Amino acid sequence: MKDSLLAVARALAFVVLALALCGVIFEFAGYSAPEMFQSIADGAFLNPGAWEGSLRWAMPLFITATGVIISFRSGYFNVGAQGQFYIGAIATTFVVDFLNGYPAALVVPLCFIAGVAGGAVWALWPGLLRVRSGADEVITTLMGNFIAGLILIYVTGGVLKDPSGTGQVMASRPVAAAYRISSEVGLSPTIVGAAVVVGVLMWVLVNRTAFGVLAGLAGRNSTMVVWQGARMSRLGIAGFVLGGALAGLAGTIEVLGPNGRLVSGFLPAHGFTAILIALVAGLSISGAAIVSVFFGGLASASLYLPVLAGLPAAAIDIINAAIALFITARAAPGLGWLTARRRMIRGA
Amino acid sequence: MTKAMLAEAPTAFALQCRDISVQYGEVAALVGVSLAFAPKLIHAVVGQNGAGKTTFARVAAGIVKPVSGTLAIGGREIPTGNVGQARAAGVELVHQSFALPPSFTVAESMEFGAERGRPVFSRRGLEKRWQKHLENLGVRAGLRDRIRDLPVEAQQGVEIARALVADAKVLILDEPTAVLSPSGIEKLFERLKGLKASGVTVILILHKIREVLGVADTVSVLRGGRLVEGPIAVGATNARRLSASIIGVQAEKEIAADEAALVGATAGDALAGAAPAAAINAAPVLAMQRVVTRADSEGPGLEEVSLRIGRGEIVGVAGVEGNGQRTLVRVLANLVEARSGQILLEGKDVTKTPLSERRARGLRIIPFERNSEGLSLSSALWENWSARQLLLGPALRLINPSWYRNACDASLKEWDVRYHTTMQAAGSLSGGNAQKLILAREIDADASLIIAAQPTRGLDVGATAFVWRALRDARARGCAVLIISSDLDELFDICDRIVVMLSGRIVAEFRPPYRLGEVGAAMTGAH
Amino acid sequence: MEEFVIATLRYGTPLVYVTMAGVLAQRAGVWNLGLEGLMIIGCCAAVLGLVQTGSLLFGLVLAVALCVLASALLWFVVERLRANPIIAGLGLTGLGLGGTDLAVQAIYGSQATVNAPYGLPRLGPYFGDFGVLSVLVAAMPFVVFGLWALLRRTRFGLQLSASGEHPFAARSVGVSPARMRLIALCLGGVLCALGGAELALGSLTIFAYGMTAGRGFMAFSAVIFGAGHPIGSAAAALFFAIVGAIGIRAQLAFGDRVPNDLLLALPYLATVLGIWISARFRGGAKAASSFGELRDY
Repeated sequence: MKDSLLAVARALAFVVLALALCGVIFEFAGYSAPEMFQSIADGAFLNPGAWEGSLRWAMPLFITATGVIISFRSGYFNVGAQGQFYIGAIATTFVVDFLNGYPAALVVPLCFIAGVAGGAVWALWPGLLRVRSGADEVITTLMGNFIAGLILIYVTGGVLKDPSGTGQVMASRPVAAAYRISSEVGLSPTIVGAAVVVGVLMWVLVNRTAFGVLAGLAGRNSTMVVWQGARMSRLGIAGFVLGGALAGLAGTIEVLGPNGRLVSGFLPAHGFTAILIALVAGLSISGAAIVSVFFGGLASASLYLPVLAGLPAAAIDIINAAIALFITARAAPGLGWLTARRRMIRGA
Repeated sequence: MTKAMLAEAPTAFALQCRDISVQYGEVAALVGVSLAFAPKLIHAVVGQNGAGKTTFARVAAGIVKPVSGTLAIGGREIPTGNVGQARAAGVELVHQSFALPPSFTVAESMEFGAERGRPVFSRRGLEKRWQKHLENLGVRAGLRDRIRDLPVEAQQGVEIARALVADAKVLILDEPTAVLSPSGIEKLFERLKGLKASGVTVILILHKIREVLGVADTVSVLRGGRLVEGPIAVGATNARRLSASIIGVQAEKEIAADEAALVGATAGDALAGAAPAAAINAAPVLAMQRVVTRADSEGPGLEEVSLRIGRGEIVGVAGVEGNGQRTLVRVLANLVEARSGQILLEGKDVTKTPLSERRARGLRIIPFERNSEGLSLSSALWENWSARQLLLGPALRLINPSWYRNACDASLKEWDVRYHTTMQAAGSLSGGNAQKLILAREIDADASLIIAAQPTRGLDVGATAFVWRALRDARARGCAVLIISSDLDELFDICDRIVVMLSGRIVAEFRPPYRLGEVGAAMTGAH
Repeated sequence: MEEFVIATLRYGTPLVYVTMAGVLAQRAGVWNLGLEGLMIIGCCAAVLGLVQTGSLLFGLVLAVALCVLASALLWFVVERLRANPIIAGLGLTGLGLGGTDLAVQAIYGSQATVNAPYGLPRLGPYFGDFGVLSVLVAAMPFVVFGLWALLRRTRFGLQLSASGEHPFAARSVGVSPARMRLIALCLGGVLCALGGAELALGSLTIFAYGMTAGRGFMAFSAVIFGAGHPIGSAAAALFFAIVGAIGIRAQLAFGDRVPNDLLLALPYLATVLGIWISARFRGGAKAASSFGELRDY
């Protein structure tokens, strides 16, 4: 308990450090940092109705983040949540587009299946390359993100293009109202229910199954579990596929829910933010539930900033990036004992 | 003669440290150690594992900065914790596990630590520059050979040559004999005597008294981070006295056993206690028949290895490190594929069976690398302890962590592991306690074959005795035990039978009473 | 054919510079995923510096200074705070992309691109058709060869490589791996600044938000593909450039009949393929994922 409190305090300290760096950057660029932070806080939580927006963004982020947590815990650095999210969204749109007119009771479940499967497939190939050939998953999943992004541009400009669409934004036909699982507000019972079910299931998986404990061991030291007789390839593939499936599910929710259609290049920071949530939460599912609301708030504020406060939305990207820069730090300068201790263990 | 040399020693010591203390976190590795070494002699620093020998060597070489104390080379004081200054003053350290980048060529390995000479070079110029140096030292290695491709003895030669690129005045070698065969040790000692003749002061970190008496002029003893005595001329002491001061005051009986390990003089028959003959004759627990594997990055392949271990039998594998011992363990763990041959466990063919199933049939492994293969240091004790059982059933079954925590608690208490809570990280345990945690996991009622790879490496005498007792108890219960160790004295003490591995083959088999000369000859292929 | 070579060099030169920065970092033991961010900082600083002062030299100096500063920040975070280099590197990339966006908006409002009055000096008519290329293109082979000589033919280079491959070996001859990493990252910062400047001012004279479009990551994978060898990695980068140039050509030749966006994915696919092939050849990473953590021993 003391350890986990310490971990939370440490994470908070680094988030504060990151925000301080952002303040410096804002001032350097000629903005008032206090005003910037005030506007962000207003947009995220303080304005009337801001909470609703923050929660709307938090739900899909939380779902993707749980997937990232599963993958990271089992020892694989799957940073391809963005691509898996896109492919899930694309697969969903294909189903909803081609089955247009069929009863919702058939189409909506199929959409969910398609999204989950799409995300899983987009995680499966880097997973296979990793466990079969040892191809570094960081690079393959990153490349997967770029490729998925281009596929998204391709389908929204081609097969799925809305012919009535005008101007520069390429998008699919809007999803018919019958298949929508929420309005633009994005807080329907279906979405909240999906997030809760995912959260509970993943919590049980991580904390109350043999898989969860073994994956946790494997993530910290895969050599050791291999010597215990575990097959890292199976654990790893399971982690990859589950992570991809959950990112794909988030894609489905965005398309059938608040977005209501597939837009080229939509939510480009979704996957990266989900990774941040996972890391800030210390790879804990329950922690991710709380942290998601914070990052959901930031996402919500990035819409608010340019419109109502006249400030650039890039500020939110910078905050996210600064948090990424610091969040995995394990030592503070001057705390030499930390490294000395490691030296003792390894060098003895 | 030695005494005379000591008397003649000039007042300027080759290396002198005063009141050195080193702290690793809460652990004191060295406490107020003051030692002075006369020039142009071979000095030994001895002690058990964990006595602070390596730390002392690293302080002398400037790699570890002590919290207090001073260091003087050739009578001139130099700042502590500064490798550059120590090297400039002529101190060089050869590490126990060699410190050369594996992808470097021999010539590059010489160059990257050099101080003088042109910083820019051509490949040919580089090789020309070091050719002579290596020849002078009698190191047989091609200048273009990569470090990772060299056999271990050549690697050590290169490492020593690396240490001597500048004109070293003090050469410190940390446990140089651990990786060598008996004949390799002799060659090393000849080389060191040659260096001594050319005016180098040699400081040897050792833990075998026999070797100390064979090569050193003086000996100093560390125990628990403190200096017990020294430097004293080796002529003025003997094996018995030295081992007493290394071990310290303990119960008489324990001293006898530990002394055997340190002196390495006794044969195993007195202590091992032969296994009941009937048990050996029963169907073997493990039978390997002409097993062949490919060579890979971790060692040579096995060539037609056949090995049988009976119920209640302890079999030792001796050999110079890197002769296929690791491959042997990995093929038994199914972590490397047997290309041909058969492995039978309790009479059942398990050649193609995955490790999880072999484990379910009673195979247990205490792997070579405690901190990477044996434990996940950053995971909790209970997770480390439960891993084996968690792998027995379907992965998605629900478990109750508190049940495992309680079971772990009970088991660790039984094995006398010192810890605060089962939630603490395994990395917070001392080496001995960490090994006991592995034993607690691997030695259970269902075990039928226990493979113990270097089970006592890095453990102090108490923990070593504990491990030996645990393995003997397992034998008494009818387990078959396979011990892989580079420490012949350990094998002689505990094994009912010893096989010797050389270049991936089993080349000899011995039964007690063991003779060091014979086993040593087999290890180097000289029999 | 000449056209194709020119297209390849245009595409490839910035990539090679940034790849060399990645080689330096990789050799010193840091997985630098901040290359993308450093590169866009280089683009942006070079263009903004030029536009604001009218001096190309000032633009280049500003780009170098900011890239070195950002590299030093990354070093501080991964070496002193012991952060994970991959996540921290991605963070630096985010800072670069966000920061340049913010800077452009702060100065020019919500304008998407900044046009520079002129670009880097060209090679000139003496080089015939190749005269349209910038001097940095011509300098590229010297930079690659110079880096190779630095790494393999100087004691400093050996010490830098040792810092990444076996830090303890480096420390035991009195070399500080931490210092070597700082030097490697800062030198890399200079190269990223040049790469960024070449991208923005080499054939174009423009800064656009996100104009690096994943080239930093491509450079990173070229380093992996080339096993951290300067020449091998440069060759990998040029290979990616060839694929990219083919994509552009096909787009020009066939127009809408080929899926342009998918052709643009070719370098990424090639990277995946490259990683896969090099993993197969060299046995790949072990089961244990190091997550790119810095090594102390």
